[in-house]
Amino acid sequence: MEFAIKFAFDIMAFTSVMVLIVLGLGVIASMMGIFNFAHGELVLLGAYTVYVCDSVGIGGWTGVILAPLVVGAVGLVLEKTIIRRFYATPIIAMLGTYAIGLIIREIIRGLLGGHYKAIPEPLSGAFVVGGLEFSMWRSFIIATTLAVILGCWLLLTRTSIGLRVRGALENPMLARSCGISTGRLYALTFAFGAALAGLAGALIVPLYALSADIGIRFLVQAFLSVMLGGVGTFEGPVLGAAAVGGMAAGLPWVVSPVLADPLVFVIALAIVRLRPQGFISVGRL
Amino acid sequence: MSVATGAAARRAPGPRVRPRSILPGIEWSTLAVLVATPFVLATRPELVTLMTNILILSLLAVSFDLCWGFSGIMSYGQALFFGAAGYAIALVGRDLDFSQMWATLPLAMLVGAGLSAALATFLLLGRKTPTSIFVAFGTLTGAYAAERLVAGWQYVGAGNGLSSIKLMAFGAYEFVEGVAFYSVALGLLIVVYLASRVIVRSQLGLVLAGMRQNEERLAFFGYRVQVFKALVFTFSGAIAGLSGALYSYHQGFTGPTNLGPGLSTTAVIYCLFGGSGTLIGPVLGTIVVELLSYVLADTDAIKQYWTVILGVVLLVVVMFQPTGLLGLVVSSRERIGSFGLRRRPR
Repeated sequence: MEFAIKFAFDIMAFTSVMVLIVLGLGVIASMMGIFNFAHGELVLLGAYTVYVCDSVGIGGWTGVILAPLVVGAVGLVLEKTIIRRFYATPIIAMLGTYAIGLIIREIIRGLLGGHYKAIPEPLSGAFVVGGLEFSMWRSFIIATTLAVILGCWLLLTRTSIGLRVRGALENPMLARSCGISTGRLYALTFAFGAALAGLAGALIVPLYALSADIGIRFLVQAFLSVMLGGVGTFEGPVLGAAAVGGMAAGLPWVVSPVLADPLVFVIALAIVRLRPQGFISVGRL
Repeated sequence: MSVATGAAARRAPGPRVRPRSILPGIEWSTLAVLVATPFVLATRPELVTLMTNILILSLLAVSFDLCWGFSGIMSYGQALFFGAAGYAIALVGRDLDFSQMWATLPLAMLVGAGLSAALATFLLLGRKTPTSIFVAFGTLTGAYAAERLVAGWQYVGAGNGLSSIKLMAFGAYEFVEGVAFYSVALGLLIVVYLASRVIVRSQLGLVLAGMRQNEERLAFFGYRVQVFKALVFTFSGAIAGLSGALYSYHQGFTGPTNLGPGLSTTAVIYCLFGGSGTLIGPVLGTIVVELLSYVLADTDAIKQYWTVILGVVLLVVVMFQPTGLLGLVVSSRERIGSFGLRRRPR
């Protein structure tokens, strides 16, 4: 029983980070119709921000707070200069965003010098509830994710910005003719998605070793989650992330770890193939 | 003469003048240069090795071009077929002690074709038409999963890969790096090039061109678009397999990175830089990119960020020059070309 609780806790921590990544990818995909192949590298950029803050000595906490801001700003600049040219051609956008991802990844690889870097948890230690130890950092990850999800939901359903976003999502043409600047909304959406990716990177990096190649793993997992959940919904990607994250964390206990990682992708891909509309097929946010 | 009168002159009725075609000229001169290379470089064996590598990689670039440039499948999985075939011939050499090229190269093509057919069946065929984004991500996922799987599999050497692969042989003759291997690579490239050319200029190629333009309309005409895509994908997988086998024989080594998305990306860069949608484009792209990287590799500052530069080049090409290097000299009309049997002009 103790083991089961600990296990569920670990899966939840990992899944929370996936939810953040997937939320960013999903919101960009459903709003602008393009899949951001650079999303994994935005996660990497967030992780790298924490590493830089940690190594210059201003502390991991500053890094965790800075990461979403830095990555969000990078996302905004990217949208203003490059991404907006691709809205009309989603297929070409794949190539363009992939090239952006490649550039970010290789710059960071050059800066890291090809080494793996370990970053200490800013919040170390554990607390005990009912005789069970829980890691502080992992609890912080879960709490942050819940706060972000709640914040997003309130923003979308209770504010006028959220109303505009929903309008632009439902019918961009009509929204434009009502005087809503969809261009500005798209820029904000992209920056927001990027900031979520940056936050996710900052939260996950103390648990993983930082290397330039972590991006692609998150990209593939996040994409499968978005497809599993269905594009254009709010709950869908979250559910998908939970499914993929749970599988990724749980399967290594069942089959050998070497086989588990590819198997997650194959299973998820097969489900998506058989049910392309996702778990939740109604287009609402 | 002002611009306005120039435009008027172009619109003036009269006998249609066929624009001079440039592509055959480019193809022939590339061939001439490639044939002359071993004679020119007779005193520099390391450059012949480099050129052999380039020829082998341009096979991979051509295979990607058949997917993207001719049938609109964004495949990040070409390296999967490339690497799998490389592993197949390495294992045949190691476990069966056999490396006769008349058997192993067809085997490699079969491995590539088999894998790509399986992937195509899974991703493309079926009752529900997949989105092109899903296909792109599917191939990326396949390549990534394969890289992870191989990197952890002891039987195929795990992360270290397989080294000292048995040399490619024909009868008693063994091919080492050098002019002989170069000739084999060039010969195979020419064969593949001609075969691809026949395919993309045939009636099948016309269907592919229509598919690129408007997939939905072709479907309404009654063409089973996904089947055509799957066919081309399988063919390109066979070419990628051939390329992978030659690459492994030539390097004497194969590793997990040969299977992964990284190498697929390189193929994408070669093809788009040279000019997708033409067959000679990817070949030229491979030659230019690889020669540049060879020349620039001496400078440490550039070498470290060479991949970044390639990424920027890819981005610039995608944004501003989607037809690539060749698009600068070849008109779109000639790029798309004509199809079927050549008819005598009336």
